[in-house]
Amino acid sequence: MTGATLRPRARSAAPAVVVLAVLFGGALVGAGWRSLQPQSLVRDRAPSLDAWRALLADAAFWDSLRFTLQYTAVATVLSAAAALGLATALRRAGRPVTLLAAAPLPIPHLVVAAVAVVWLAPGGLAERLLGILPLDVIGDRAGVGIVLVYVYKEVPFLTLLVLAAWTPAVSEREEAAAVLGAGPAARLRHVIWPSVCTALAIGSLVVTAFLLGALEVPLVVGPTRPTALAQYALDATRTAEPLGQAQAAAALLVAAALATLLALALARLIGRADA
Amino acid sequence: MPESARRRPLLVGLLAIAATLPILTLAVRALADIWRAPAILPQQLGLRGLRYALSTGAGVPEAVLNGIVIALLASSAALVLGWPAARALAAASGRMRRMLTIALALPLLVPQFAVGAGLAEWFIRLGVSDTLLAVAIAHLIYTLPYVVVVLAGAFSSELLELEEVAATVGAGPLQRLIGVSLPASRGALATAAAVALVVSWSQYGTTLAIGGATTTLPVMLVPFAQSDPQIAATLSLLFLAPAVVAVVALTWVLRP
Repeated sequence: MTGATLRPRARSAAPAVVVLAVLFGGALVGAGWRSLQPQSLVRDRAPSLDAWRALLADAAFWDSLRFTLQYTAVATVLSAAAALGLATALRRAGRPVTLLAAAPLPIPHLVVAAVAVVWLAPGGLAERLLGILPLDVIGDRAGVGIVLVYVYKEVPFLTLLVLAAWTPAVSEREEAAAVLGAGPAARLRHVIWPSVCTALAIGSLVVTAFLLGALEVPLVVGPTRPTALAQYALDATRTAEPLGQAQAAAALLVAAALATLLALALARLIGRADA
Repeated sequence: MPESARRRPLLVGLLAIAATLPILTLAVRALADIWRAPAILPQQLGLRGLRYALSTGAGVPEAVLNGIVIALLASSAALVLGWPAARALAAASGRMRRMLTIALALPLLVPQFAVGAGLAEWFIRLGVSDTLLAVAIAHLIYTLPYVVVVLAGAFSSELLELEEVAATVGAGPLQRLIGVSLPASRGALATAAAVALVVSWSQYGTTLAIGGATTTLPVMLVPFAQSDPQIAATLSLLFLAPAVVAVVALTWVLRP
């Protein structure tokens, strides 16, 4: 056998890709079919758009969509900005300090949300220590608690991505710019930002897609109204309404469509990064 | 103390607080039987949370066992399927690499509850809904991409050259796998297995949509987070344990 025949070929990936395609495609087809079957959970009937009409006419759905987009955008932008700042502070800090910054990564979102309740709920530890909190954080209609939990979780992830893109070559260019008289703002704008923005954008898109569909954090620290989009779907599955299951599936497909659009944007970014 | 830490005491202090505060908070809250506002410190320590977790009616041991079995199934399947895919990803370039990456990443980006609810539709029709196997199959959507990406890092040109040398001295595919490839990628395999186990263990949305009565720890934890912080803290510590074990085990496996 020659060495060349041992080189892996793309078709080696086929079993994994097929399994993912069947499961993922099956999930989307299953949700699509359910959204068109508003009357029966057991026996298929003629497809109907009743659930979609009910969804689009439901003010609570639009409130959920608006609320979800709002806290997702705020949490992503804050996390990206904080990650850029933290990466700037950490770039010469050494491995132990970087590992310390990465420590929140393996802590599940749900556990962080449970800790947030202990500290930030009315009568929680923060209020006991400070006397009063300037605003409601847990269960508030603006989603402040959700944003805080997500910022805590996503900043380390984005910081590591920025640090990975902040190669020694970038630092050398930064030092050269400093020697030539460029101030900190000019170095950030003309040297650092062009080098790290693609990595930060890719990470931010991944964060956005995750936040759009995640359920557990809004369930624990979010308000009862408006709800996150996934929570709206969960609530719909638990109602006695005959349209509930189908309406839930339709709402989830809206979230899936938003995530797919983000994935397409991600593909373009990865393509640009490779080029 | 490293020089960098001495130069940035405020930054290091803040990072240390951010890193340790969740676990310290959970540990104290789990041991506080009575801790009413405005008391800064617990008024009575006790093990009410642990007693609840171990009580027969609560179903916590069953949820832990379910989570372990599901994570083992979803991780082993991901390792078996992911190994050849990782080799292909490591060797691919240009358009093919991009397509493989997107095929792996897309399922990760779509809401878990949406994927779970869609799969539940089929599992109900197949009569396998509400089983450990069904939940493990659904978790494969999340464990497989992580395993492929982590393992792909192990397939360097050096490993391929080692395999080629083994082939030239007459080693067959199985001998090359056992004698060369697996030992050479020991660290990546351990990392991939740890990541897959933790990813499956932490799943909430898919398990909620498919599991039904087959519950796991995260599904059990959510209702307690606001209603009973002591039990929530106890369950959170149990929930965190595998991540801590994984990090410790990886540190040991990956030691120089």
